[in-house]
Amino acid sequence: MNKTNTWMAMIAVAVMGFSTSAMANSGGAHLEKAQIDVTSQEQLRRGLTVFTDVCMGCHSAKYITYSGLMLYPELGLSREAVDELRGEKSLMSGMISDLTPADAIESYGKAPPDLSLIVPGRRGGADYVYSLLTGFEHDPHNKIPDGNYNRVYPGHRIAMPDPLSWLDHDPSETEELEQQANDVAAFLAFIGDPHQNERRAIGCWVVAFLILLTLVLWRLKVEVWKDVKH
Amino acid sequence: MIEQMMKTKLFAWIDRRTGAEAIIKSQLTEYPAPKNLNYMWNFGSLALLMLVLQIVTGIFLVMYYKPSAEATFGGFTVAFDSVERIMRDINFGWLIRYMHAVGASMFFFVVYLHMGRGMYYGSFKEPRELLWIIGVVILLIMQGAAFFGYLLPWGQMSFWGATVITNLFGAIPVLGDFITQLLVGGFAIGDPTLNRFFSLHYLFPLLLVAIVGGHVHALHVVHSNNPEGIDLHKPEEMIPFHPYYTIKDAFGVAFFLTIYAYIVFFNPQFAGYFIEVDNYVPANNLSTPAHIAPVWYLTPWYTILRSFESKLIGVLAMGGSLAILFVLPFLCKSAVRSARFRPVYKIMVIMFFVDVIILGYCGHSAPTPVLKIVGQISTAYYFLFFVALPFLPKFEKTKPVPEGI
Repeated sequence: MNKTNTWMAMIAVAVMGFSTSAMANSGGAHLEKAQIDVTSQEQLRRGLTVFTDVCMGCHSAKYITYSGLMLYPELGLSREAVDELRGEKSLMSGMISDLTPADAIESYGKAPPDLSLIVPGRRGGADYVYSLLTGFEHDPHNKIPDGNYNRVYPGHRIAMPDPLSWLDHDPSETEELEQQANDVAAFLAFIGDPHQNERRAIGCWVVAFLILLTLVLWRLKVEVWKDVKH
Repeated sequence: MIEQMMKTKLFAWIDRRTGAEAIIKSQLTEYPAPKNLNYMWNFGSLALLMLVLQIVTGIFLVMYYKPSAEATFGGFTVAFDSVERIMRDINFGWLIRYMHAVGASMFFFVVYLHMGRGMYYGSFKEPRELLWIIGVVILLIMQGAAFFGYLLPWGQMSFWGATVITNLFGAIPVLGDFITQLLVGGFAIGDPTLNRFFSLHYLFPLLLVAIVGGHVHALHVVHSNNPEGIDLHKPEEMIPFHPYYTIKDAFGVAFFLTIYAYIVFFNPQFAGYFIEVDNYVPANNLSTPAHIAPVWYLTPWYTILRSFESKLIGVLAMGGSLAILFVLPFLCKSAVRSARFRPVYKIMVIMFFVDVIILGYCGHSAPTPVLKIVGQISTAYYFLFFVALPFLPKFEKTKPVPEGI
């Protein structure tokens, strides 16, 4: 038994090493926690509206097609709603902004990143998106002009102009703006991995089955081994 | 069940032409295994399981993956797009891809524990030296396969990881540049690199299957070691592999699959350890990530590389740290195998395991002066462990070894 404990202790040390460094990994500026629920159709649809009305002015989400907006049950838009959103674009087209990358570079100095994978592709994920959108402030050193200073953006100088007009907003609007930031963070978290709800739902059954199988095979092992004398 | 199967006419027909009955008996139903193996002996079968799973999932992924670095809209590439197509549009593509990505990490996890068990109980010692050496070959091919595979999604970490590692070969005197260009297929990582890495990523697992066959064959010639590390002669000390170890391995497989499935379905990125955050950003040769680190299973060797100011010495040390595993059986001269009866070796080998974990931690973290010193001390201990082994029998008082089990 003693020997088994030694191994257990070693594996435990390894796992602890992992988890502590995982915590150290987040680093950077303090991120606000985003209030998101990727299973909530209401929030995801509100987030989609923010995305199409605000983000898509410059950003694309090329891996999300207009037909996807109908087919993913989490969004479940009607054909009419999708037709209204897509205009002349094909159903199989990705959600591509009308602003071309070349025009964006001329206006803002860089091409805006595609947002399909922005949540899995940033440390802090949805919290980062939420904190970024509500992170526009006056530069404490007065070097970066208003609208280009962001508290959480690496280096603080961001090319994206304050999309929700967070800077100097009227305090009465705070709640609504935070809601918009949360909603769009939820939408972006969803499209980063659109099968995530299905995956977790199936996962419960798979893991439950495997636990059962493990228990059965464990009893079977004990039964087979009971005549082996130690 | 096997006995009934072997009584059928069909089996008799096959047996006359293949000698299947003798093989099944000698390798399975009458293959003698020590009766005292503990659960650390389960990791061999788990490694085999992971090899099979990686090959099967990999074959399905290749049906949709496209190895091309040609640019597509939005700063992406054909390769990156094809991976996202698997994740989003292919039926259960997300499952196969997550199984493969998580599987790589789980494969290394079980293989490292398998090796640790071999080191702790002296399984590499006479007469199992060649078994161990074949195992080290398997490890090297696995690391190569993992490295090639990581380039395929063509994300930021794919691109920059491959850039860093292929540049290492440039440190080799005279031939360095030639080897780098041969590996990369040009002067910088690009479409030719992706195509040859894809080819090698498909080749290496096939090599693995062949060499794993050799590993199992070598095992079945010399038979399993055991926790006491002694030679077993008496028949009552042995039990047939089937059904005792088949059922024990099956239980181990089910237990392991539960953990594996939990990660695949609920936490496939594993906080950026199994799929790095930066790899969701498409490769961009004009923008270097703030911190380039390989996936966790290669970080101990990455720390050894970074511990030296001179690139050449770093490369030699990293190569040496893997090569030294080949000669472990000849460095360790003690007649006693198991660490249970070797008090000094036991402390040294446990410290070695902790040392490798520290090396891994240092390699994964962003470099700081403190971590650099910690990494250098850990690197020193890594080599010291092997260098000290030949001298250990001179002063180590081993405990009396039992006659039998």
